[in-house]
Amino acid sequence: MAFRTRRGYHAGMNHAHRSSFVLLAASLLCLLAVQSMPTARAAAAPLRVGMELSYPPFEMTDPTGRPTGVSVRLAEALGKHLGREIVIENIAFDGLIPALKTGRIDCIISSMTATPERARSIAFSEPYLRTGLALLVGAASPVGSAADLDLPGRTIAVKKGTTGHRYAATTLQRARLLVLDKESAAVLEVVQGKADAFIYDSMSVYQNHKRHRDTTRPLLRPFHEETWAVGLRLGDDALRDQVNRFLVEFRKDGGFDRLGDEFLAEEKAAFAAQGIPFSF
Amino acid sequence: MPRWLAHTIVVALFAVLIGLAFSRVDYVWNWADVWAYRNRFIQGFATTVVLSLAALLASTLVGILTALLLESKTVLLEAVGRVYVELIRGTPLLVQLLIGFYVVAGAIGLHDRYVVGVLVLALFSGAYMAEIFRGGLAAIPRTQRDSARAIGLTPWQSFRLVILPQAIRLVLPAVAGQFVSLIKDSSLLSVVAVAEFTLAAQEVNSYTYSTLECYLPLAAGYLALTLPLSAVSRQLERRYRYES
Repeated sequence: MAFRTRRGYHAGMNHAHRSSFVLLAASLLCLLAVQSMPTARAAAAPLRVGMELSYPPFEMTDPTGRPTGVSVRLAEALGKHLGREIVIENIAFDGLIPALKTGRIDCIISSMTATPERARSIAFSEPYLRTGLALLVGAASPVGSAADLDLPGRTIAVKKGTTGHRYAATTLQRARLLVLDKESAAVLEVVQGKADAFIYDSMSVYQNHKRHRDTTRPLLRPFHEETWAVGLRLGDDALRDQVNRFLVEFRKDGGFDRLGDEFLAEEKAAFAAQGIPFSF
Repeated sequence: MPRWLAHTIVVALFAVLIGLAFSRVDYVWNWADVWAYRNRFIQGFATTVVLSLAALLASTLVGILTALLLESKTVLLEAVGRVYVELIRGTPLLVQLLIGFYVVAGAIGLHDRYVVGVLVLALFSGAYMAEIFRGGLAAIPRTQRDSARAIGLTPWQSFRLVILPQAIRLVLPAVAGQFVSLIKDSSLLSVVAVAEFTLAAQEVNSYTYSTLECYLPLAAGYLALTLPLSAVSRQLERRYRYES
């Protein structure tokens, strides 16, 4: 911006520009300062529940786009028990713990396994479901068990941030690991023969095999047992006690049986037929 | 005020503003856990460097070839170039990558995701390069070519000694910008499980739950690649500056 002075052309800001720049910078700093002041939270504030809505039948959306599924029903029942409104936040699975830690959500109900590593970052409620890791194997692959995967020529597809990812990275180190964002991408890798197996929970393996009968083989018996629990912030003991009390009551009421019948009837029957444990 | 001082002051101001933002968030830093995975970061960084370099070279080649196609007098050749450029510039890179890797590459028997990744990046960037090169060449007035022929230079000599130096000076800023874009776009290859820098940071994040301690080094790593590129580009611009 050049303007003419007595000494010739002077390149630089003239006074009008300089003061408006100062005003802009000052207002930016003021905005930040104001935001850093603590705000009072209302007592009956809504409970923000984080989950990734891409894990049927636990976390999914119905055709109109509304969240539905086992975890959503569980969250709604929890809200009723606590007398608080529930707000479902759809967050990618590997972003749930950071979102909880920074206060964007109050709890995680997303079929999350309680592991010792995660327990260093967040607190867990009592477990509410017992399940395990299973394999979705490609039809052309010679893999017959999880141990078969621990060989140099094998390729394993996992979803980023899951216990399957953790298991493969720590226990199956001789195989090549494909870390993918989405369950559908991992399944596609197996279906196209680019990966030998996809490590995921037994119920999803069953569902995915149903959709790809000719190109995949399910190994449904869990080779690594896990339990799912509700994730909470470290130190949020009040909410954790409330959640644990709720889970006990819900189970006594038969709430979990109802959820099983509504969303998992087919899996329950299929697993029972094969003698595979399935328990809420 | 010397330029380096002004730059340093502005960077410091940004750092202060960002620091203020961080101080309001109750974030517990945990660098130790992330430091334990430093080899994964280094591997990812090396992969990104190799992939970006390969894609840079390939895309420049593709860009030059396509620019020639676009300038061709043969209608069919010009059509090939035009359709390619419009298709690639009009669709998202993510879509090109997913279709390219899961559909096209499988169909033609190319299964190595690293090779496919480089090809997709090269084709993507090549379309933009083609337009840059074509625009640069078109901006040289016809009188330059006529004068060169008039003093007895052959077509190739007039291109090499008269047109090309001027064109390079014109396209250098845009090409450098495209190179920088390409380095950053390579992070998208993480979606098809190419073990590059961004995927490394995401993996370590999923092991340690220390998001900022993973992503800040990631940003710093990309800056370490792109800032020298910008600096070299500015130097080259100065070198090619002459009265015309």
